[in-house]
Parts: sequence; structure tokens; C-alpha cells
Amino acid sequence: MWQTNLKVLAVVLGTVAVFTIVSSSIPQLQSVVPEDLSFSGDVTAEELVAAGQALFEGAGGCADCHGLGTRAPNLLTDEAGTGQIGVRCARRVTGQDCKAYLFNSLVDPNALQVEGYIPIMADMSRTLSSEQLWALVAFLQSQGGEVTVTGADIESEGGVESAGAAQPAAVTAAGPTSTSSDPVEIMTANACLGCHVMDGTGAPIGPSFDGIGGRVSADYIRQSILDPRAGASEGYEAFIQLMPATFGEQLSAAQLEAVVQFLADRR
Amino acid sequence: MSERLPSGARRWPLWLGGIGLVTLLTLVSPDGILAQEISRSYRDFPLIGSRTAIWIAAEVHLLFAAFVLGVPMFAVVAEAIGIFGKDRKYDKLAKEFTRLLLVAYSATAIWGAILSFLLVTLYPRLWVYLTQIFAPSMWAYAGLFFLESFTLYLYYYGWDRWAEGRAKLMHWGLGIMLNVFGTTVMFIANSWLTFMMSPPADVTPDTSPAMVQFWSAFANATWMPINIHRIIANVVFGGAIVGAYAAYRFLIAETDEERAHYDWMGYVGNLIAIGALIVLPFAGYYLGREIYEYSPGMGQTLMGGFMSWLWIIQAFLIGVLFLTGNYYLWVGMGRIPGAERFMPYTKYMLIVLVVGVIVWATPHTMIASRAEIAAMGGTYHPFLGVLGVMSAKNTAVNIMILTTFLSFLLYRRANKEPVVEWARTGTMIQGVLFVVCAGIVIFYGIYGYFVTAIVRIGFSVYQVLAVIATIFSVVAIDVAIGRGAKSRGAIRWGQMPERSQYALFILAVTFTWLMGLMGYARSGIRQHWHVWEVVRDTSEYASTPALGYASQIISVCVLIFFGLVAFIFWVGGLAEKPVLSGVGSEGGD
Amino acid sequence: MGKHLRHPLGQSVTVLVAAYLLIKFGIVYLPPLIGIASAPLPSSVVLQYMITVIVGLLLWVSDNEERWAKFKQPMHRVMVDPEQKVARAVLLLATPLLVAFVTFDRVRPSVAAPVSFRSIHPAPPGQIDFQGRTLRLTGLENPLRSRGSEDEHLEEGKRIYYQNCVACHGDGLAGLGHYSQGFNPVPLSFQDVGTIAQLTESVVFWRIAKGGPGLPNEGGPWNSAMPAWEDFLSEDDIWAVIMFLYEQAGHSPRTWGEEPGEEGGH
Repeated sequence: MWQTNLKVLAVVLGTVAVFTIVSSSIPQLQSVVPEDLSFSGDVTAEELVAAGQALFEGAGGCADCHGLGTRAPNLLTDEAGTGQIGVRCARRVTGQDCKAYLFNSLVDPNALQVEGYIPIMADMSRTLSSEQLWALVAFLQSQGGEVTVTGADIESEGGVESAGAAQPAAVTAAGPTSTSSDPVEIMTANACLGCHVMDGTGAPIGPSFDGIGGRVSADYIRQSILDPRAGASEGYEAFIQLMPATFGEQLSAAQLEAVVQFLADRR
Repeated sequence: MSERLPSGARRWPLWLGGIGLVTLLTLVSPDGILAQEISRSYRDFPLIGSRTAIWIAAEVHLLFAAFVLGVPMFAVVAEAIGIFGKDRKYDKLAKEFTRLLLVAYSATAIWGAILSFLLVTLYPRLWVYLTQIFAPSMWAYAGLFFLESFTLYLYYYGWDRWAEGRAKLMHWGLGIMLNVFGTTVMFIANSWLTFMMSPPADVTPDTSPAMVQFWSAFANATWMPINIHRIIANVVFGGAIVGAYAAYRFLIAETDEERAHYDWMGYVGNLIAIGALIVLPFAGYYLGREIYEYSPGMGQTLMGGFMSWLWIIQAFLIGVLFLTGNYYLWVGMGRIPGAERFMPYTKYMLIVLVVGVIVWATPHTMIASRAEIAAMGGTYHPFLGVLGVMSAKNTAVNIMILTTFLSFLLYRRANKEPVVEWARTGTMIQGVLFVVCAGIVIFYGIYGYFVTAIVRIGFSVYQVLAVIATIFSVVAIDVAIGRGAKSRGAIRWGQMPERSQYALFILAVTFTWLMGLMGYARSGIRQHWHVWEVVRDTSEYASTPALGYASQIISVCVLIFFGLVAFIFWVGGLAEKPVLSGVGSEGGD
Repeated sequence: MGKHLRHPLGQSVTVLVAAYLLIKFGIVYLPPLIGIASAPLPSSVVLQYMITVIVGLLLWVSDNEERWAKFKQPMHRVMVDPEQKVARAVLLLATPLLVAFVTFDRVRPSVAAPVSFRSIHPAPPGQIDFQGRTLRLTGLENPLRSRGSEDEHLEEGKRIYYQNCVACHGDGLAGLGHYSQGFNPVPLSFQDVGTIAQLTESVVFWRIAKGGPGLPNEGGPWNSAMPAWEDFLSEDDIWAVIMFLYEQAGHSPRTWGEEPGEEGGH
């Protein structure tokens, strides 16, 4: 009787002990809690970079994906021969300098989806404060580039922590918020020519606006603005992810129609 | 498997928590006296700290709760077999299950009360937050708990009184109601903790809890996946604990009759546990998908972030389960006349299982010293590295499920001699189905290496569907073949080597431990949030501890649980003594 | 022998040994036979596999009453049979000794360095400060290739190499200089196709100019002993020695030809 009890006890304790020992013999990783950061207006670049690095490697969770180069673009060394993030950031999106591009990538990553990757990154402003976001930007800039984040950036964002509310200064300047009804003004305000060429200005990342009305219908243009992912023009498939899908919300119906008609008339 | 909570956030299944307490607190909370309490976010617990205190309370509570939910499910099924199959044996079994239930029930409530007290005293701010959203469901919870308790009393104490005819059917209906109430109670508690994992996207830190839509918070993204996962896991767990109970009674039995009864009971418990275990990975897969869908970041933390090593441990535990479960079946073949035919094949199934375990537990990043890393040229092995990825692991686990299913099939078939004319053809078809299924699983496993990640994820669905389809069609054929089959001799219940019974203990302990582990994972991925990205954990225990520490807490919870269960069963045994057999057993543990 | 192979104990031992040989050596040497690269497994993984195999064997010998009895019988005999005194004594002595040895082996201090990941070719910065000036590395070409006589530059590079570099990187550019054995990390071999052949000249320039002290974090944790040559050599000296390195090793530098596209990450 007692022999049986002891045997049962031994089996139970032995099994539990084996599980505990095995669990204790593998790498021990603890989750990291992000530190609350608070910077004064005259914070130095070094302080920002150091805080950003700690976040990148620890509590921010960035290194889980961005360190491997398989789930997400490699940020620390090289990505497909384009260099470190600090080098390539300014070239990624025309019209956004390095700082603006990095900040926007953090708060609205899917709008700046890098081709070849799936959209898995979360809006980091849901989990990080604006201090922390700017520290990360500073750290990324330091990877091969020059740190231009200053205390002023943080203060201009200061106190705005909740999701979505943190619209970076750069985007506002590039201006989706124009109320004009003049098509050219609307297009300028929305940085269309950042990717499309019109009358010799703009960048040839997307299809040219010259003669666009002769190539496609007004309906097609409207659809392409509202739902750019629906289909790319021939030869531009690779860049389709760069076209923001948010114009449908940013433009008023009148503005949208003005732009569509304006483009459709350019034969 | 499901629960327990570690880190910052307190989960609280709050299972069958103390009714009065819940009611009282929810009535008081929204505006009244807790106003000052809100300013005080946390209180510390002496010695072990509040995180560990609430962790242990929640986990032990959950283990009991899983048990008292799982057991009624098959008690009702067993009673139905007894009624409609006219087999008194099953009726007796169902009653014995229910007796275990009765004694475990109060322990569940006690731990529920401990959990709620700890939650209220240690995490008042979170408690108030949750009550502001969930107060109505807490009242409903208390009411349903009340109904569940009294249904259980009627069900158990009315067993002998309503034993015949219509009354028996009504009694069976009571059993069904018991399950309905119990499951509803669990669904309610699940909504609270899944809300903490996956609050609706429109809830932000600035959202006042009073403004949160009740239904959107209640039916949040991971609610239904967790419900399903837990229902199945409860069945598995209940079966495993019943198996362990039967194993113990078998070991201390003094008469052959007793031994035969408990051998059979252990077999049924194990059958239920392993049978439900086979479908559990599919529920887990659904849950995982929903987590990814809800927040890729959270999914990433779970699978690739600081928790990635946890899956190696999980693989190890599931390997133990598969091997032990099959082992019990194979040993059991020794008591079945006619099983000799199949005995030579067990070694091949064993080889498949061992290879499966090896593949499944091969880490992607290997632990190695500097010299070994140099020899490999990195922490990924150039050849075996291919076993570290999802394609290989899904293939391995599907093949292991298939093999386990084959073990069951042979076991079922062992003492039967089919009489239908097409028995041979039918068996051939079954064999072909197995081969085709294994072919599909392996094909997609290998093909997965040649496609992109997003396509590959879809492949695991095909693998799973192939396995499920095979299981269902093979069982259907088998039932048809077995119709009117001649027996090769009755199973010699009770003639079982003792070591097989220890296998049942290992199964029960492993299931329990695995529940603790997965609960740690589920709760831990919230990291430093009470409510994911809404309510931040600002206490000193905000971080989720590493696996080594977690494993110690899990072990402590498992031991507390088994200690209490042993005591409860012993007490139950004292009362039952005269009923079971003339000789009487000396319970004790 | 045949008798032992029919006995469950003998079979188990055979399978165990075979599994060990397969895991320890088979995995290393078999795949290369069909052209797949392989490497030795870390001991942690070997242990994990062997434990799985042992558990599998135990399950096999004990899942059948008859086999189990047969399996235990020799062990039982060794422990109780009066005729097996010698075997028993050896066993009772050997077992604790084995445990003692394993314990000793695991706790004995060793000189093995802690596990670390070192990137041999860390990414270069976009620009560097060179002797007070800012040099943009991206797109930077070796100016000597388009200026003056190539033979003269090579001659100059050779002179500089033999005055400064040969002591560590060696006569044959294979990293086998006289001092090379004293360093960790060892001096690079330029003959290796994995070194300068993979790099642009600007990267080589950066490595020579900044040396070990200028390595980024991921190049750690060991400090390369390479000096920062900007303190000793002029810009043209460095470009000349780079030309010499490529010429002598028979590699050509990676070019900027495949100009980076506009992809890349956020």
C-alpha cells in the first residue's frame, strides 16, 4: 500500500522534475518592459540614440523581425545592397526626408510597405510614447546616417500618445489636409508628383500623368486612387505598394472628382 | 489547454468563483467606495509577490475548473451509453465520474474565491476597470453558477432515485443541463480574459471603460477560439485525471473484480483524453490564426519573440504524450485475445513516433558552444536546419496523429473477427486512405520549402484537412466492418502490468503541466499590459518572467493540484467504501 | 553473437550504438555523398536525440510482458546470481565512477569562450571622417584606377604591403603572417573568396583606415588587433595597397554596378 503510494509519488515528482529541468536548461528569455522616457528640449543625439537602441533590441521588439532579414527589412546592416537604414531612408519615398519617412514607417507602417514583405508590422504608436518613437527614429538614423532628431521634434509631438493621434509633422506639411478645389493644388498638397511625372516635374515611380487621359478612362483613374492595390499599370507592378490607399478618406468627393476629371482630360 | 496567468496582467478565469463575493464586489464597484481605491493601483503580496500569488491562484483554480467541466461531458455520454445501450457498467461508471466531480466542485469554488480576493486586493485598478465593462456578465455568472451547483446536486443525489424509465431520461436531461450551465459559465469567464488579450480595436487607453460596448468587448477576437480550445482541452484533461484516478485504484485494488473495473475505467479515461487530444491541435491552430489576425505583433511575440523557446518545450511535452499514450495502448494489447496479430507492427509505429518526436523537437537555432558554432558555420545547422521550420514540424505532428490513430484502430480491431463479406476490401480501402493521407501530408511538407511563407501557411490547412478526413472516413468504414463481428475472446480486463498504470499517471501529470505552460504562453504574450495596448501594467511585476521561473511556478501549481485531488479522492473513497465491493478498499494517498 | 542479437537487451544496445553513430557521424558524412552540405551537430542536440531514442527503446522492450521479462533477466542475474560476483563488482564500481567522471567533466573549468555571434563583415557606415575630411563611402571608387600608371601604383602598393601588412596577413596574403597565430580574431586571408572578393574597394578602404578600433558593435566582442592605418598611411597609400591586394590575390573588387534600387526598408 505505502509502497504503491511512494511509487506513485515518485512518478509524479519525477515527471514534474524532468519538465522543470528541461525548461530551465534552454535559453532564458524574459520580456522587457519599455522604460518611460522623458527628454528635455535640449536632449542630445547620443541620448536619443542610446534610448532608441535599447528599445530596438529590447522592449520595442523590433529585433525580433528586423534583425533577421527574413520577416522584415534588415535595418542594421544591409538590405538588398541598398545599405543601412540611415543611408537609404531618405531615398525611400520622394517628398519625405529621412526623419519623416522613419517616423511615418513607425506609426503607419502598412502605408509604406516595403515590397517583398507581408504587412505584419503594427502601428507602434499604440505601444510606444512619442519620446520612444523619436528615440527609435534617432537610433535608426544613426545606422549609417546623420541624426537630425532634436528635442523640438519631441516637444511638437509632446503629450500625444494614443493611437493614430500622432500625425507626424512631415505628413502634415506634405499636406493631405488641403481644402482647395483646384486639381493642381490638391495634387500638390497630396504629393502626387512625389511619384508621378506631370509636365516634366515629379518622380517616375508611378505612371506618368502626361497623356494619361488618352491611355485610361476616368473610371479607371478614380478606382486607382481609391483602391490602388486593385491593379497596377503595366511596368509599375513593383511599386504598387508605394501608392497610399488612404486618398479615399483624405479627399472630399468634390476634390476627388476634380482630380479625376483633370487627369482624364490630359490626353 | 489553456490557462493561467503570469505577467503583469491578471487574468482571471474566475471560474466558479465565490458567488457572494463576486456579487458583492460588482455591486459596489462602479462608483461607490472604490473611488479612493482607484488611485491605489497595486498592493504587494508578502514573500512571493503579487504576480506569483495571482498566478498560482488562477492556475490552480483553472485546473479544478477544467476538471469539473470536462468530467460532466463524458459522464453524460457514459450515462447515455448505459441507457440506450442497456449496459449497467456504463451507468455505474458515469456515477463514479460524478462522485469525483462533487468533491472537486467545492475546491473549484474555493480557489475561485481565493482568486477573486487576490485580484481585488492586489490589482484594484484593473478590477475596477473590468467591472465597469463587464458588471452585467458578472451577475449572470453568479446566477448561472448557482444553477449549475444545484443541477449537480440533483444529478448526483438523484441518481438512484430516478434510475428507471422516464425518470431516468429526466435524470439524463439534468446531466445535459449541467453541461449547458457549466459551459456557459466558462464562456462568460473566457470573455473577461480574452478581452484582456484582444480588446476591440476601437478601445484605446483614452477610452473610458464605461463607454466600451459590452457586446464588442464580450465577443472579442479571441473569445470563440479560446472557448473551443478550452472545451476540447477540458475533455482531454478530465479524461486524463479520471485515468489517473482509475490507475491509482487499480494499483491498490485487492480483488480481481475491482482491478477489472478500474482497468476498464482507466482505459475509457485514456481513450477520451487521447481521442480529444487528436483534435486539439486544430483548435490551437485556429486560436493561433486569430491571434495573428488580431495583432501580428502579438503573434510574433508568441512564435518568434521571447517565447519562441517555449514551443520546443511544448514539442517535448507533446512528444511525451504521444509516446506514453501509444505505449499504454500497446501494453494493453497484451490483455486482448487476437491482438498478437498486430503486436509485430507496434515497433514500426514506434519508430515513426520517435522520428516524429525528433523532427518536432529539433530546434531551429541550436544551443551550441563557440567551437560548435564555428564548425556549423552559424547557429543553423546546414543539413538539419530544414527540420527546424514550420513545414517539417507540421508534417511531423500530423504523421504522429495519424500513427496514434492507427494504434487505436488496431486496438479496436484486435479481438474482432469481421463477418461482413467486404471486410477485406474495406480494410484495403482503409490502408489506402492512410497511405494517401500520409502522402499528402509529406508532399505538402516538402513542397512547403519551395514556396513563400504566405503560401506555406496555407499548406498546413491542407495537411490538417487530409488528416481529419482520413480519421472520419476510416472510422466510418471501421464501424461498418465491425457490425456483427465475431469476438476472438473477451478482453481480460484487469490483467494489465502495473507499469501501464504509471503511464496513466505520467499522462495526467503531463497534461496538467502542459495546460500550465500554455496558460503561461497565452497570458504572457500580453507582456506589460493588463489589457493589451489599453491598460498598462505599471507594477514592479510588469515583465513576463523567463521560462525557467515559469516552469517552477507551473510545477508548484501542478503539485498543489495533485495534492488536493489526492486528498479529495481519499476523502471520497472513505465514504464510498462499503458501496464499491464487499472487501472494501483502503483509500489513501 | 547471433544469440545476443536475438535478445532484446542485445538488440537495444545495437540500436543505441547504431543511432549514436548515425547521429554523430552519419549526419556529418552521409549528406555530402549526395551533394548536400552538412556539419557536426552540437552536443546539446545529440543528447536530445539520444534521449529520445533511449526512451523509444525502453517503450519497445516494455510494451510486451514477455519481452520485458527477457530484457530484465540478464540485469537481474548480474545483480543477484552468486556466479556473477565479478560482473556485479565491476558494475557497482563502474557506475559511480562513470557518474563521477561525467560530473567532473561538466563542472571542470574550461577556456572555451562564451557563446557569441560575430559578424566578420559588419556593414560599413555611409561616410567616415578620414584625416579630418569627410569621405562618402557609398559609390566611392578607387581614384588610382583612373589616374597615373597602374604598374606604378601596384609597385607602390607592394612596397607598402611588405612594410606594414605582411607581419600579420602573410607573404601569400593568406592570413598566415608570423604573428597571426597570436590573434583572435585571426588576420583575414585575402585569398579566401569570402573576404575582399565580396567587398567593394571602399569597404576595404574603410577597414584599413579605421582598423579594429573602428569596428561597429556587431564586429565584437573580440577586438581585432588591426591598427587604424589612417594614422600611418596617406589616402593614396591605402588605395595603392588595395590595388595590390586585389591584383595579387587574383580577385576583382565588387563594383557599384548593380546600383542599389529604391527598395529597402522602413
